[in-house]
Amino acid sequence: MSSAAPPEALLGDVTRDALAELLLATADDEFVIGFWDSEWTGIAPMLEEDVAMSSIAQDEIGHARALYELLAETTHDDPDRIAFGRPADAFRHAALMNHPRTDWAFTVARRFLYEHADAVRLEALARSSHERLAGLAGKMRREESYHRMHADAWLQRLAEAGGEARKRLTAALQRLWPDADAVFTPLSGEPELLASGVLAEPLAALHGRWRARVRPTLERLSLPVGGDGAPPPDGRTRRTDDFRWLHGEFTMVAGSEEGATW
Amino acid sequence: MTDSVWEVFRQEDEGDAMTHAGSVRAPDAELALHYAREFYGRRQESTRLWVVPREAINELDDPDWLKPPFDRSYKRPGGYLIKHKLEAAKARAEESP
Repeated sequence: MSSAAPPEALLGDVTRDALAELLLATADDEFVIGFWDSEWTGIAPMLEEDVAMSSIAQDEIGHARALYELLAETTHDDPDRIAFGRPADAFRHAALMNHPRTDWAFTVARRFLYEHADAVRLEALARSSHERLAGLAGKMRREESYHRMHADAWLQRLAEAGGEARKRLTAALQRLWPDADAVFTPLSGEPELLASGVLAEPLAALHGRWRARVRPTLERLSLPVGGDGAPPPDGRTRRTDDFRWLHGEFTMVAGSEEGATW
Repeated sequence: MTDSVWEVFRQEDEGDAMTHAGSVRAPDAELALHYAREFYGRRQESTRLWVVPREAINELDDPDWLKPPFDRSYKRPGGYLIKHKLEAAKARAEESP
């Protein structure tokens, strides 16, 4: 943890807005992938996997919750409102999380691409000058290492299974790669985040590291590796009807009685 | 799927004996560890897990070996009646300070 942590009160307005943007993007990634993956509860390939996937999905939503709480303190907001009170178009997750659950191979492909991207991002956030964010990222990393091993194990199984499993996995990776790049789409407040040390490294550098991390695994399994293009500029603002449907699902209960206490 | 069964042992706290927790079905050793963790460790109830393929266990349940037909009560501590000897020893100890 850095010793040069700026106390919350000393953050300028511009840096605070930039911090809020970073927290929202990261939290929305975790929140939305958690909800998509929670859809496997009851229908995963086998009972044990059902429990494992549901537990991982819960972990992701738990990480989102911690990040929303930190965001709410920063912007004097309410974490539940941020999670359940926003219209679909106000979400800032990467385009990777716009896609529906689809089939098991698709979910495995997304989890693999995302978990490694998340790992690279968390490593940088753990070195943040913002002490609370750095501490939170450090805690999240401990759980994410297990998620990553789980994704790696399934990627390998499906790739080596051949046949339909491999075909679907290959198609999913090809389809998802450009949207996985969007995890590293530059943030508008990135210059302030870098100047203040809240973000230890530019997202472009993290993007390169992520590619270098996933490439050997994909090559070893003769799976497709995506292009070297820059992340799409609208990578965190593009929304789909699939996501709008999911948004309707996860806001349904909170929306059924406005202002209700839980 | 070609699943096999894995027996899971868990240790509650460091130094405790490993006890049988239950079993999971999994296609390989790696996923068996993941599933064992989900079933027997995700609520922080375990310090350590052992995950063993069921085939690796040598089972013995032969009653001729385990429940011999003759009286073997002398092999148990309770087979020796030492209550009276203990009482006598205590009494002796009290008499001679």
